[in-house]
Amino acid sequence: MAKPFSELRECLLRAGVAPRHVRRYLTELADHLNDLKAEEERAGHSPADAESAARIRLGGTDELAKAMIEQRQFQSWCVRAPWAMFGVAPVLLLSGAYLVACLILWSGWKFFLPGNDTPFVQIDGFAIFYFGIGRVLYFGAPIFVGWGIGFIAVRQRLRTVWPFVGLILITLIGCVAQVRVRRPVVPGGAGHVSMVFSPDPLLRAACFMVYGFFRLW
Amino acid sequence: MKTREANPNFMNGVPELLILKLLQQEEMYGYEIVQAIRNRTDAVITVGEGVVYPVLHGLEIDGALKSRRKTVNGRRRIYYSVTAAGSHRLADLSEAWNNLAAAIQKMLTGGQHGEAF
Repeated sequence: MAKPFSELRECLLRAGVAPRHVRRYLTELADHLNDLKAEEERAGHSPADAESAARIRLGGTDELAKAMIEQRQFQSWCVRAPWAMFGVAPVLLLSGAYLVACLILWSGWKFFLPGNDTPFVQIDGFAIFYFGIGRVLYFGAPIFVGWGIGFIAVRQRLRTVWPFVGLILITLIGCVAQVRVRRPVVPGGAGHVSMVFSPDPLLRAACFMVYGFFRLW
Repeated sequence: MKTREANPNFMNGVPELLILKLLQQEEMYGYEIVQAIRNRTDAVITVGEGVVYPVLHGLEIDGALKSRRKTVNGRRRIYYSVTAAGSHRLADLSEAWNNLAAAIQKMLTGGQHGEAF
């Protein structure tokens, strides 16, 4: 459908027009082109002549692109506020995922392991599935958010700076985040789950990399 | 202090005005709109066929138009119609255009400084 407008699509995406607006514009242009072709054919033109006449009537790529690019309201938020899309939103998403993971850990500890000093013990049955969701969320969130950033950057033909900033932020947070648990104060009561952001793992990784580099060198 | 709006281009807002006027009467899709403008203005005003869509989409984002998908003769079309906000906008644009047209007419037919031509 949108094949005749692949050049226009690239032009619009590179100019920062939101993909949903591009998709709709191209869909309507394709329909319009078909109507024009039909009209030209009814007027007695051959299919090839009708096609080229319809193209001319519809407008050139530059003209069609300019009409869309000129209106700021069609620009994607990734272009209008990249700091929010690649700086704030990924951090909020990751924070939300960590919060849910901690809630799962805390509630699972309370319901499946009452009386235990820690939730990090051998479990069985439904508890494996329940804690598994939290585990996947905790370990997977930085990866999923990173993929999301990459996907958006490629889909919208963005320059690399802001997506790269977002990826660095997510990597740093993912590296330094740690879950801490404290045993219940009252026997049989609920324990305490919290998150700390310690640079220790990052420093250890940096030392390991430096050590590895010198060993190889 | 209220500032006077400039008219850098006399055609500014004309496609909007024509589209809102047409769609106030009946819902239409893009191709129909372009043909209707051409037919009803005796081809004096021709809107760029493809560039009508950014105007339609912009009006829809502003809440002046609403759209719906409809299948007609086996083809899915996006039909546009005017909202209440669009009717108000049409009234404002019509008034602005009438004022502008009256001012130009007055100028052409001779004002206080005599005949223009």
